[in-house]
Amino acid sequence: MSLLEIKNLTLDFTVTGARLRAVDDLSLSIEAGETLCLVGESGCGKSTAALAIAKLVPAPPARYSGGQILVNGRDVLQMANGDLRRLRGRMVSYVFQEPGASLNPVVRVGKQIKEALKLHRPEAATEDEVARLLKLVGIPAPEARARDYPHQLSGGMQQRVMLAMALAPQPQLLVADEPTTALDVTIQAQILELLRELKQRLGMSILLITHNLGVVGEIADRVAVMYAGQIVEVAPARELLQRPLHPYTKALMGSVPALGSEAPRLSTIPGNVPRLGNCPFGCRFQPRCSVARPDCATLVPSLAELEPGRLVRCPFGVGVSPAPFSATSASIPAETARIDPGAAPSNEPA
Amino acid sequence: MSLLDVQNLKVYFPVSRGPLRRAREHLKAVDEVSLSIEPGETLGLVGESGCGKTTLGRAILRLVQPTAGRILFEGEDLSRINGAALRARRRKLQIIFQDPYSSLNPRMRVGHIIGEALDIHRLAPDRAARQKRIRELLAAVGLEAAHADRYPHEFSGGQRQRIGIARALAVEPKLIVCDEPVSALDVSVQAQVVNLLRDLRQQRGIAYLFIAHDLAVVEHISHRVAVMYLGRIVELAGAKTLVREPMHPYTQALISAVPVIDPDAKRRRIVLPGDVPSPVHPPPGCPFHPRCPLAEDRCRTEAPAWRQVRPGHWAACHLAEIANRKS
Repeated sequence: MSLLEIKNLTLDFTVTGARLRAVDDLSLSIEAGETLCLVGESGCGKSTAALAIAKLVPAPPARYSGGQILVNGRDVLQMANGDLRRLRGRMVSYVFQEPGASLNPVVRVGKQIKEALKLHRPEAATEDEVARLLKLVGIPAPEARARDYPHQLSGGMQQRVMLAMALAPQPQLLVADEPTTALDVTIQAQILELLRELKQRLGMSILLITHNLGVVGEIADRVAVMYAGQIVEVAPARELLQRPLHPYTKALMGSVPALGSEAPRLSTIPGNVPRLGNCPFGCRFQPRCSVARPDCATLVPSLAELEPGRLVRCPFGVGVSPAPFSATSASIPAETARIDPGAAPSNEPA
Repeated sequence: MSLLDVQNLKVYFPVSRGPLRRAREHLKAVDEVSLSIEPGETLGLVGESGCGKTTLGRAILRLVQPTAGRILFEGEDLSRINGAALRARRRKLQIIFQDPYSSLNPRMRVGHIIGEALDIHRLAPDRAARQKRIRELLAAVGLEAAHADRYPHEFSGGQRQRIGIARALAVEPKLIVCDEPVSALDVSVQAQVVNLLRDLRQQRGIAYLFIAHDLAVVEHISHRVAVMYLGRIVELAGAKTLVREPMHPYTQALISAVPVIDPDAKRRRIVLPGDVPSPVHPPPGCPFHPRCPLAEDRCRTEAPAWRQVRPGHWAACHLAEIANRKS
């Protein structure tokens, strides 16, 4: 049994009468001890999907319209509030992008970590345990730092404190949502190194969300690429980076500037991620795709296992033998497909 | 003559301490920095947060007051002029900011944001000419004429950065300081903006001071790159040379920290311990020595001189030759 198994999750937001599908028929699993990277541009639904794992997307305005989220075999969407409270923290713990915005500015960091301990492991809510956690995440002089306020710490140190707090309940799954995006590259390297080391030492699983495929090469076992609310490719990290099959994955990789490359121009993806409720029919990536064919605008591609362990939502993917479209899985509800682009505000939580 | 020649520039900020706020210390944000930019050249400036790269960029535009040193722009010292004379020179120097969300007035239409620059410098004789110029500028950055009537919130991050670029271009500057122009953007959009800046340089012969913390982006767009640490420039060389043969251990660490997509790439990983020290009390000797993997006794006491190690390749490190061999 997988630690986490998401089956056909669909999540809608209702905004000014329109139903906007943020996550569309998403299936994903994470094994114990595995690091999965969820990759995609801003607004593709990756953060929403990650928050949904612990049912943290508030409903309303959201609606969990379908699917299951199984953590150790139990469906999160069916859990009572008490079970959800036990799930959050002890099973699934979160670290977010901006450590400065996630920490309480007027409470000493040691006390904030102790709060997490009191909630989830009351027997361990001691100064010693706080110091041990701070030391675990590589903070020098942990006893002294525990008495600091967040503003006295640098961005990298604040992110380490957030990590200590997330690890306090000893979770089985750590969800890290762009944990290094706000940090310098040198500090990013430190935090990625730390995550790798912690995973080995503590044997937990990590779901890491990022828009930078460079980060994927550093840390991931497996990768899922998301576009406009759907998963478009899943593969072992190494294979995906060596031979991406979906044109979107390929385009994302091309836009990361490589150090020492001779290319005069960076390859880009024209246009932007479509707004929610304004996804093009057929393949959602087709208007920006460099290898699109006329069929792509009329038929809906399905996520198919082209090789063992490799799922791709594109029948013409790079170097892929043609697989049929599935005309039946037209998953955009008719009423949202017709919404005026100007009238649909993007309600993707940042 | 260089377009811009910065000589021994210092920007110190006073810091008050103690119960009566008597003890005054100085935060040396920029300390003895010298650099030059030729017309049409892009000089990259990299360094971690807090190293003073933004302050240096702003001091060149006189958006912060330099403490000492000279800023020669087309041979004229900008640090000594004020008022109308400074305003007239500023037409030749523009800036693009990091955050495209906070650097555009949310209550002004895009046409007005771009047109305001034309009004201030009286570059459009009448309404029709003004409208025409705004349309031209929007087209130059890849936006449509109809976008002039919209408000900033209607645009994505990448499009907003294009508006910021159009605003900078309005006055036909010779030098644009790009302060982390792509750091807040997704990688795919980042590539679009970098390519746009490159095209504009080719079409219009604009020089850039391109400030960023991502060495891969900086190398891609720059002719030469300067590396800054704790208010000082520690290495300066041609972009390709700097990446292939870095002389300063700090540059080497920065290079090794850039995430690499290729899972088979073999490389030496140098994870720097700790953070950048406080610029109020920089370490004695070489300011990088507490984090430097090569540091020896001399580095702890004696500040390294800024020297030309090879033609066109400058570094401030006692051990530049040794570090270079190890890289």
